[in-house]
Amino acid sequence: MNILETKNLHKIYDEKTVPVHAINGINLTIKKGEFTAIVGPSGSGKTTLLNMIGGLDKPTEGEIIIEGIKIHELSPHKLTDFRLRNIGFVFQAYNLIPVLTAEENVEFIMNLQGQHKAIREKRTIELLEAVGLGDRLHSRPGKLSGGQQQRVAVARAIASKPKFVLADEPTANLDSKSTENLLDMMEKLNREEEITFIFSTHDARVMKKARRVITVDDGIIVSDETK
Amino acid sequence: MIWSIAWRNIWRNKLRSLIMLSAIAIGLFAGVFSTGFYKGMADTRLKTGIKTEVSHIQIHLPGYTVNSEPGRYMENTGSIVEKISRLKEAEGASRRILAECFFKTAHGTRGIRIIGIEPDRESKVTDIFERVKEGNYLDDDSRIPRILVGDKLREKLKLKLNSKVPVDIVDINGNFSSRLYKIGGFYSTNNTGYDEMTAFVKYEELRSQLDLPEDVAHEIAIYLKPDTDVENVRQKLAGEFSGLEVKSWREINKDLAYLTESMDQYMLIFVWIILLALCFGIINTMLMVVLERTKELGMLMAIGMHKSRVFIMIILESVFLSLTGGLFGIAIGYGVIKIFEKRPIVLEMMRGFEQYGYSAEVYTSLPLYMAFNIAGLVVVLGVVSAIYPALKAIRLSPVDAIRTE
Repeated sequence: MNILETKNLHKIYDEKTVPVHAINGINLTIKKGEFTAIVGPSGSGKTTLLNMIGGLDKPTEGEIIIEGIKIHELSPHKLTDFRLRNIGFVFQAYNLIPVLTAEENVEFIMNLQGQHKAIREKRTIELLEAVGLGDRLHSRPGKLSGGQQQRVAVARAIASKPKFVLADEPTANLDSKSTENLLDMMEKLNREEEITFIFSTHDARVMKKARRVITVDDGIIVSDETK
Repeated sequence: MIWSIAWRNIWRNKLRSLIMLSAIAIGLFAGVFSTGFYKGMADTRLKTGIKTEVSHIQIHLPGYTVNSEPGRYMENTGSIVEKISRLKEAEGASRRILAECFFKTAHGTRGIRIIGIEPDRESKVTDIFERVKEGNYLDDDSRIPRILVGDKLREKLKLKLNSKVPVDIVDINGNFSSRLYKIGGFYSTNNTGYDEMTAFVKYEELRSQLDLPEDVAHEIAIYLKPDTDVENVRQKLAGEFSGLEVKSWREINKDLAYLTESMDQYMLIFVWIILLALCFGIINTMLMVVLERTKELGMLMAIGMHKSRVFIMIILESVFLSLTGGLFGIAIGYGVIKIFEKRPIVLEMMRGFEQYGYSAEVYTSLPLYMAFNIAGLVVVLGVVSAIYPALKAIRLSPVDAIRTE
């Protein structure tokens, strides 16, 4: 079952001055439960692609359809709401809220969704235990290692029960051991809970773990391999 | 949770927040204390003005306040005063005879206003008897009539207690009348101008010197019990004594009325100026907050936080910052005002203002509602100061903001 589909996706920056064609007609489908890496050299368009399928950027041309909804046609307000309920984000620099504890960071997104406190608390503890941080519930990000912060970020991304998780270079700031642990944990969540992960990465270790590797260059898909 | 984040965000940069909080606290302390100080000054002036000079209500023959000839007197005033004294709202009522006279001494002649009073009744209306610094309050029944003069007049004319002074008056028949009075005492109010221009003698003495018939008076002064609606009583008396002119202190002494009405406004303007200055400091702080947290704000919007919530979060942060510093400053200011409510601040430099009725001893005063009003203005300050930074925050594009280093 396709959860994500792009049709003839184009993105041109600075259309009126010096146009830069970042994406040049990408057709892509992602099925539920995939563990997919989008790879490519710097400037290839992979981050632009990720931003567009994450509803953070609008295509110049083409369609982005997530479970039947054309998200490029949504108003900014509706798009924010759509992201909140359907897409999980993991960023390269963790981007946790430094004044909140690990527990509160995870709970925060469910709070935005308007879920009841009891439900939020239960799920937060379950998720932080699932990512191996059951004993660091009350630690603020500043007291956690990079790897631990990224685990909290993953727990936050899946707390909202999204259709898929977009992870932009999630291992770029981590050492090998933390990268290994994080990837193992995400793979486990993917396998056991059928959470769809889409990575944008340079990291060979991520490519190695991914079951599908899409290579983008000059704004087009140059290869799409499923292992 | 937004409230909690906003509160905790204040303490992310402790030094910067403490500097801003201190500035707000000091500013608000200054605002509150100044308000309390000037309010205290105005209250003292008002209290003195009513208790010593005008009373709450005065009754005259119509037009007397414009043309105060001695022949324009009210009749049967004894029964009027008795009737008014029995009113439940009245603390006391006193009739007076008023005249302009010449006060002649070896050191000069002064034109002053002389007031003939019934000491017992007058003591329920004014506090002149409490303000006698030397001598007696017209209660000495000696052969030569007594006169009570102000301390300032003593100073100007080098008067001595028990010395005799002739007081010259033109009576109701237009005849020149001179009578010798013995200085029985000196009084001193907070209004040196009043002290220099006003002297008291007994009602009967002045009545006979002016050749006025019995039971007449130029003025009936009424002092009301605390918290009485003056205007309500004035209307009641005006209805009862329709042939007479019944005026409240606001109509009699317009300066005094203007003082009370304008003081609150002046103070509000003063506080607004302080808040305006603080506003720029808070705007600057909040702009720095937005700039420093661009990446975080981008992340919040990316994961699904609506711009309206981001806006509210920034506003709340600013309100918390303003309110924390503001309440601290208001509390200290209010505390200091409470201390000086009982023991006065004595300002020697204010002595010069005593001739205008202001006391150099200031008892600070600030009603609690005014402190709450100022706290309300602090909230407004917080909201207003954060609008521009908050607008800047929500204009950020999540994609660009996340990429910010």
